[in-house]
Amino acid sequence: MIRFGPGNLRIPKFERPVYVVAGGMTDFRKKYPEKNTCELVTEATRMAFEENDLKVSAEELRREVNWCVYSQFADHFGDQLLAASKVHDYLGFDPLGNIEVKTGGATGGSSVLAAAQAVASGYASCVPVVGWERMDEVPTKVGNSYIASAACKDFESELGWMYAAYYALMAQRYQYENEVPRETLAKIAIKNHGYARFSPYSQNPGEYTVEDVLNNDIVSDPLSVLECCVMSVGAATLVLADEETAYRLSDNPMKLSAICGGTHTLRTADRRNMPILLLPNETEETYKEYFNGRRHEWPGFSSFLASRMAAYLAYNMAGIHDPVEDFDILETHDAFTISDIQTYEDIGLRPYGRGREFIESGEAYHGAKLPTNMSGGLIGSMHAVGATGIFQIIELLWQLQGKWDKYHADPEIWTKYGKKKPDDFKSLQVDGCKKGCAISHAGTGSHVTCAVLEKP
Amino acid sequence: MANPWPTAQAEVISESPLAIKNPKTWSHYHTYGGWGKFFQGLQQKKLLATRCTNAACGEKSLWLPPRCECVDCWHPTEWIEAPQSGEIVTWSLVKYPGELFRLPADTTLISVELEGVCTKLMSWLKDGKAEIGMKVKAVFNTDAPTNTILDLAWVPA
Repeated sequence: MIRFGPGNLRIPKFERPVYVVAGGMTDFRKKYPEKNTCELVTEATRMAFEENDLKVSAEELRREVNWCVYSQFADHFGDQLLAASKVHDYLGFDPLGNIEVKTGGATGGSSVLAAAQAVASGYASCVPVVGWERMDEVPTKVGNSYIASAACKDFESELGWMYAAYYALMAQRYQYENEVPRETLAKIAIKNHGYARFSPYSQNPGEYTVEDVLNNDIVSDPLSVLECCVMSVGAATLVLADEETAYRLSDNPMKLSAICGGTHTLRTADRRNMPILLLPNETEETYKEYFNGRRHEWPGFSSFLASRMAAYLAYNMAGIHDPVEDFDILETHDAFTISDIQTYEDIGLRPYGRGREFIESGEAYHGAKLPTNMSGGLIGSMHAVGATGIFQIIELLWQLQGKWDKYHADPEIWTKYGKKKPDDFKSLQVDGCKKGCAISHAGTGSHVTCAVLEKP
Repeated sequence: MANPWPTAQAEVISESPLAIKNPKTWSHYHTYGGWGKFFQGLQQKKLLATRCTNAACGEKSLWLPPRCECVDCWHPTEWIEAPQSGEIVTWSLVKYPGELFRLPADTTLISVELEGVCTKLMSWLKDGKAEIGMKVKAVFNTDAPTNTILDLAWVPA
């Protein structure tokens, strides 16, 4: 669809407010043979129910639940179809209804969207959203083939069986059009590996220099290993509720003022040229000069229409005018350094063609204008795909509640995961944090959700 | 007589925690359906694209990969040969391909723009060093076809 009719751009509306009450997660690892999937999911859910300073016991909260949403990307990886049923039973929620959501890398975000729809419509009043991925049953090379099964198998998958290659194609084109210094891209990897050092849950923390990133092994030219997300095992659980239930459960629930989804063609190749869909902080004037030079198409290979669509709907739904001004914290789906820069533009942090400025200005760092991926993101912390979009919103929840330290700074949590809290540990709590945004993203931009979580 | 125990031995990967190997070796029967004409066309050294036949529809570009129905109106499309030379829109040299890749590492993937085609076909460069804007022409694997998209490749024009 490249021309919109009057109904296509309708701004979504919740019939009643939706709140996020609690969150829990496991740590994330490349391999996790010590625990099976059911055990991991229980660990994350128990943390959400028992360790979020709720006003009710875990048992009382279990008795509030009336619908469940499960989030797992790939049956291939877990090698268990209908895994949601197994997990639902293991958690003791039978015979309550449930649904399992699948939208690739955005499965977590879409699952939260499905749960929010259930609460907002009145269908349910208390909904756990439970996500996981078990990516360690096969070698990494086979895992990459499984992930590339989420490209078009008739016309794309055979070309590399490797998603990083599909992003590398976009990276080359983006760089041809925008000429972002490689150092700027490396800074995103350094930032997210660096923030992951302060998370006991993270899989791939590290202190790196620009040279480390640029001289690292190339996966698919130009992307190096350190610029690509990890492949993880782990789980995350979020609890959503309506207003009355939320305040009965918690003194400090956060309002999910919007969560909206957009899509675009699975094959990057099939993206037709169309007019730019403008965000509230853009006008036609913004792009008067845009199509000069090497940029002559939108979205082309350099932009994600799905991200733009999701942000367009969510910003209008939540009354966001300028994301850099209005948000205090952001979690992006930094699957690759290049896609992070693309996303900055799609969600309006900078106009198209100027995404690099968001990193170069320093705004994306802790203590600056819009701290981004304090969690360590997908590059530093985790990408247990079904859990990822849920993990992002849990990190936002704890930041907004002012409880980041409780879940990251306690040395006992580090010990629990067999890790040592770094001697130079730094709190990444964002002071005065009132409004946050999370982007969950699939394919080469096939599905994207944009969530806005705020203090009520 | 009691049924025997299974004879296949499950290979134990680890004793603690107990982990075993589950082998899988079957094939999928996969139909291209209406898109099969495109792959058969490659064997005749033709690049077959599709175009909407609905006079009332505004979408009159060629589509490659082909679609049997128009994306904008769902009317049937017709098959039309696309040009066999075009320009590289983007490229990447794949260093660590996934398990099922039938070409060697260091293969160059490309996306190709063709005159009159609204899509940018993903393919691979069989010879030469890729650059954005480089002119390329199609070559076809007809000797030992895989009947996949790999039967089409490009070389410098």
